[in-house]
Amino acid sequence: MSATTDSATNNHGHLDRVYVWEWPVRLFHWSIAASVVVLAVTGIYIGNPFLPVTGEATRHFVMGTMKSIHFIAAMVFLLSVLSRVLWMFAGNPYARWHQFVPVSARRLKGIWETAAFYLFLKKDSPAFVGHNPLAGLVYCVVYGLCFVMIATGLAMASASAHVDSMLSSFQFLIPLCGGLQMAHFLHHIGMWLIIGFVAHHVWSAFLVGTVERSSLIDSIFSGYKVLTPDIAHRARKHIEEDR
Amino acid sequence: MDKRTAEQDWFERELERRGVSRRDFLGFCGTMATALALPPLFGSRIARAVETAPKPTLVWLEFQDCAGNTESFLRASRPTVADIILDTLSIDYHETIMAAAGHQAEQNLSDAITRDHGAYIAVIEGSIPTGAGGAYCTIGGRSALDIAREVCEGAAATVAIGTCASFGGLPAAAPNPTGALSVADAVPGLENLINMPACPANGENLAALIVYYVTFGRLPELDGLRRPLYAYGKLIHDACEKRAHYDAGQYAEAWGDDGHRKGYCLYKMGCKGPVTHQNCPNVGWNENTNWPVGCGHPCIGCAEPSFWDRMTPFYRHLPEIPGLGPHTSLDKVGLGVTVGVGAAFATHTALHVARKNAERKRNAVKPEEGDEE
Ligand code: HEM
Ligand code: SF4
Ligand code: SF4
Repeated sequence: MSATTDSATNNHGHLDRVYVWEWPVRLFHWSIAASVVVLAVTGIYIGNPFLPVTGEATRHFVMGTMKSIHFIAAMVFLLSVLSRVLWMFAGNPYARWHQFVPVSARRLKGIWETAAFYLFLKKDSPAFVGHNPLAGLVYCVVYGLCFVMIATGLAMASASAHVDSMLSSFQFLIPLCGGLQMAHFLHHIGMWLIIGFVAHHVWSAFLVGTVERSSLIDSIFSGYKVLTPDIAHRARKHIEEDR
Repeated sequence: MDKRTAEQDWFERELERRGVSRRDFLGFCGTMATALALPPLFGSRIARAVETAPKPTLVWLEFQDCAGNTESFLRASRPTVADIILDTLSIDYHETIMAAAGHQAEQNLSDAITRDHGAYIAVIEGSIPTGAGGAYCTIGGRSALDIAREVCEGAAATVAIGTCASFGGLPAAAPNPTGALSVADAVPGLENLINMPACPANGENLAALIVYYVTFGRLPELDGLRRPLYAYGKLIHDACEKRAHYDAGQYAEAWGDDGHRKGYCLYKMGCKGPVTHQNCPNVGWNENTNWPVGCGHPCIGCAEPSFWDRMTPFYRHLPEIPGLGPHTSLDKVGLGVTVGVGAAFATHTALHVARKNAERKRNAVKPEEGDEE
């Protein structure tokens, strides 16, 4: 995909549009987001089934339906997370693994600078086109959490799976989770950590998008970030050189 | 029909003496086939083997235990064929039921394991304490660990009966004051070790194990925790008669409430059926009179490793959050933390906006920077 550019202006003067988030990044972002919402809603019910159900048991399938939906969403979630991780080794520089795992001196330094900015210790945030290094590090932890959810989820699902099914081959995960009951416990704690992250994520996107009037929110729909010409030029060169 | 053996004649006389009819005996063999998850056809093969095959010697050691598994196995309300299988095994040592006492009893043990070296079955009940140099459990002046090593290493097969022998159980629960270990941990490297956890283990399952051994001359298939698959291959939850209520979404919410009386699922009363492997719903207890969930009490997960530490609080779905006590629900904490994060960000935003506004005001004072457009 070429680094398509466009020109735009706003009240800060002349600006450039750069294609930063390629379509797989956006697709997996939104399939993860949608599946997490479905997983959290059905998961809360599975952990504490609160809906009243009366009459003959044969006429109802509330828990069964919730679990089926949970499982389908879990497969969407699993495939999206795995695909996104694979894309970390195939996509443009802004999708790459080193956006998350800070290995360069510049990104390591950027972590402290960004943190200082958020804590009101510094007036300006350091400029990064992709994820800022602190956010990248947080996403690292979030990916870890996603894999904890997948591992504990598969452990629970494997216990009831048919002996000849593919799912039952994940029974090796049960002792790694510390037993099935621990798998339930960790899975449930993990959900709240993810909900906490989503609250933080949505709020900070809103904050950066409206208060700082950046193109951040728009970019995850369109893929384009609106940047000052010099930064845009550097970003384009970075993408071009990488291919 | 095969040629009759002396063993067969003796077995038949023994059945008659105890008032067990041929029909009862065949019924028992059918039940064993079911417990072993074999097709009913195997009933007759089992019957022939049980009648004719020589029964192995068995020694039953009790260490840090409550004799619950012994009780579970021996306290049938009427004489069953299982008792006879057990009786016809030559039980050369069993502290609770043997007549011998003191040094004579210990002599019996040492005779049996020397005479039948490599051929006897060792059944171990209770955990093995290793703290204080093994002083927490000694028999005839020897530590449990010492005895277990000698007896298990010379056995054709070792059966760890009950959760304590299988996984450490109650004595090994935190903080494990006596340094209690399971048989697998205390005597590592035993090749023919079978774990039969549960508190207590079900007598039917032990009888089935012995019947299997006598019939096929080998041990049944085991899972990763060395539990026989015929008894521990499935979750309680996947064979439970209340499962239809679970799937429908109908749960008892309090002891004796309408749902409880209607036999609704006990999930919300903390049932550990979804995380516990055993065949209680199929085999039942007390000759299949009933089983815990069947009479309205949730499963407490007695057959799983570290059940005392991990399955508590018994009447709650999930363990307690460390440091917060048993009555704080994880969902409430999670919701609280999420709201906290939201509040922190709202504050952060407010501060941020305030700073931006202050900046704008400061800038507005300087006229040359005012004409942005
Ligand atoms: C962000 C992702 C996810 C969230 C928020 C989530 C949430 C939950 C929650 C809260 C529970 C109830 C746990 C309990 O209290 O026992 C649950 C159960 C479960 N989840 Fe997930 N989950 C997620 C991903 C997954 C994945 C990837 C799988 C993979 C197969 C999965 C499979 C299961 C299974 C099998 C159960 C157990 C249902 C039962 O009790 O039988 N979940 N989930
Ligand atoms: S009573 Fe327990 S084992 Fe039975 S269906 Fe309900 S949760 Fe599962
Ligand atoms: S129902 Fe559960 S607690 Fe009761 S004996 Fe069976 S495994 Fe143990």
